[in-house]
Amino acid sequence: MNETISLWGQRLYRQFSLMLANQPKLSYYLQPLLRWNNAELHPDYYSARIVDSGWETEQILSVWLEPEPSWTGFTPGQHLLVTLLHQGRYISRSFSISSSSGLFAQQKQIRISCRIQPQGQFTKALAADIAKLTHLSISAATGDFVLEPQTDGAPQQSIVMVAAGSGITPLWSMLSSLRCWTSPVVLFYCVKNAAQAAFLTELRLLAAKQPLFELQLIETASTGRLNLVQQLKENTKISLTHALYYLCGPAAMSRQYKDDLIQQGVPSDAVHAERFGLELAATQGPVKQALLIEQGKVTTIEAAAGVPLLQAAEKQGLSPRFGCRIGVCYQCVCQKKSGQVLNLRTGQISGDGPEQIQLCISAAHSDLQIEL
Amino acid sequence: MKLTEQQLSELAAELDQVKANVMNQLGDKEARYIRRMLLTQRLSAISGRILMVLGFVTPWLWVFGVALLALAKILDNMEIGHNVLHGQYDWMNDPVLHSKRFEWDIACDAGSWKRTHNFEHHTYTNIIGKDRDFGYGLLRLSNDFRWRLRNLWQFVTYLLLSTLFQWGVSYHELAGERVFFGKKKADRVNSVSHSDLKKAFFGKGARQLFKDYVFFPLIAGPMWLWVLAGNVLANLIRNLWTSTVIFCGHFTADVHTFTQQQCEGESRGHWYYRQILGSSNFTGPRWFHILTGHLSCQIEHHLYPDMPALHYLTVAPQVQAIAKKYGIAYNSGSFLRQYATVVGRIIRYSFPGGKATPA
Repeated sequence: MNETISLWGQRLYRQFSLMLANQPKLSYYLQPLLRWNNAELHPDYYSARIVDSGWETEQILSVWLEPEPSWTGFTPGQHLLVTLLHQGRYISRSFSISSSSGLFAQQKQIRISCRIQPQGQFTKALAADIAKLTHLSISAATGDFVLEPQTDGAPQQSIVMVAAGSGITPLWSMLSSLRCWTSPVVLFYCVKNAAQAAFLTELRLLAAKQPLFELQLIETASTGRLNLVQQLKENTKISLTHALYYLCGPAAMSRQYKDDLIQQGVPSDAVHAERFGLELAATQGPVKQALLIEQGKVTTIEAAAGVPLLQAAEKQGLSPRFGCRIGVCYQCVCQKKSGQVLNLRTGQISGDGPEQIQLCISAAHSDLQIEL
Repeated sequence: MKLTEQQLSELAAELDQVKANVMNQLGDKEARYIRRMLLTQRLSAISGRILMVLGFVTPWLWVFGVALLALAKILDNMEIGHNVLHGQYDWMNDPVLHSKRFEWDIACDAGSWKRTHNFEHHTYTNIIGKDRDFGYGLLRLSNDFRWRLRNLWQFVTYLLLSTLFQWGVSYHELAGERVFFGKKKADRVNSVSHSDLKKAFFGKGARQLFKDYVFFPLIAGPMWLWVLAGNVLANLIRNLWTSTVIFCGHFTADVHTFTQQQCEGESRGHWYYRQILGSSNFTGPRWFHILTGHLSCQIEHHLYPDMPALHYLTVAPQVQAIAKKYGIAYNSGSFLRQYATVVGRIIRYSFPGGKATPA
């Protein structure tokens, strides 16, 4: 009943807003007035004041943010979409929150920690603009990469965490938020060398203070890649099949470890993985043609195998709406009219009929017709 | 004079270069400009509506309010709406300024506009039988059309069309698709169903009517009649202005028309050539260009419909030089001179005969 009323309320508001301002919500109409001195704020997101910023390592930049009061909070491990206005253009990327729930509870602040990539459009812009920016736009926190609540009475499960590089961010958020330690936690932290490890001092401090926490720093430059299963068997007392796993790193790494663990008899629902970056599925094959239809106007683009359609369209001078570019935010969703696309995240090939697709993670598998 | 295919492809390359020079440098400047325009539009719309109610203090406030609301509607339709709907600011990735989401303060539904204007008019500019914007199916503006009796009083038809311009624009697609009247054409491929067309037409139209003629007069209480009259007047001013600007862009004396045979399988160079000959510019101070949404540079707009319009003035001398180099007429003149030739054209073709389009 309440739902029906709220649904009707929403519809009525939408109609009212369309009538009065020709916008689906009045905030769009008022945006130029509200942000006249704060043009960098994106109308769809929450504003967050930049409190401070600083380098964790040579490559990892931390930014402390104070979200506006209506921001809904987060569970450690979750990520959010950060949007910034760079050279007149909104660009977005998703980041895991790297601070504890305590910091948010006490000071209403969160921290994001970003590895600045020389080829990365967003992170490069962030590093270049951070000194003159006063606000960033952030989405609500989302994601299910969070610690499983340990049920009372059940035997406590050990926790195994694996972080690769900046994959430490959600895990450090979880660890620094843990209030009562009831079971052993071991963290394998894989970095090229110790100089590139963010939060290392804090992690070592935690390990010294908390007997249930064990930190294993893997410096891949000297010791090579981590063999997770072997390491667990030889250097820890953890029973493989009775532990919970949290993996955060490049998609290929997480998948590899997950496969290894499952082979050892670990149930697959005990392995949680947060992948970052877009792992490109098969990239071989001939170039296809995609017809992009924009209100009757047809543009033909060359869609090479494995290249996201969004990127292919932009190369042709088109500007479809986009957001995170890694398939998280659903702002680039379009109607495919015919043809098959390859989902670059899952490797799945779509059907041939009409359906909604995300341009940023879809590549042509056949010739296509898409309504932009 | 006729250009060879070789010359046409050189023409295309030169005009493409002019565009690339601008498009490669889009950034803060353009974003700030359009946001400032949006802010000006919002401020004049809101203050205009408030001042109209304050007409009881002195009627001058009402007059000022009407002028501001008309200004807001003109900015919304021309410098903001028309240009945003062309995708000129899509690169900003801003939901308020993206062609996919934008909706404007005019009776015409934005989706319908993008189909008839962006696609039909801009692709088939001045091709008789393809570009229904040439005379809007109401006016005989060249000898390509058979003379009918109703053309005798077409100057009155023109004045009526200008007065109700927003409704003409809004009904344009439904007229072409023969939704209510006329014989259905078997060969037309409908991208949108008739019921969707009707829904958009009546939905958008009703919202606009309700806003200006019911909602705002109602909340003005005792000043309702002043507000109602002010809104009618502001819409009228906008209608006359937009209609005049558009007529000066395409129906001046020297604009060329084209036959379908001339344009079959045409090259990009010929498309450019046709855009230059099918449009006309007029001159004026900077604020004047802004009020026309830079359609005073109709030629540049037709060459580069997706280039942020504030750049038309800067590329115009380059375009003019290129046109001169290839011996293509570049039609420009003062606003009054151009408008006089529009009136002359409407009256001339009210009567049978007239110059035929060169094949």
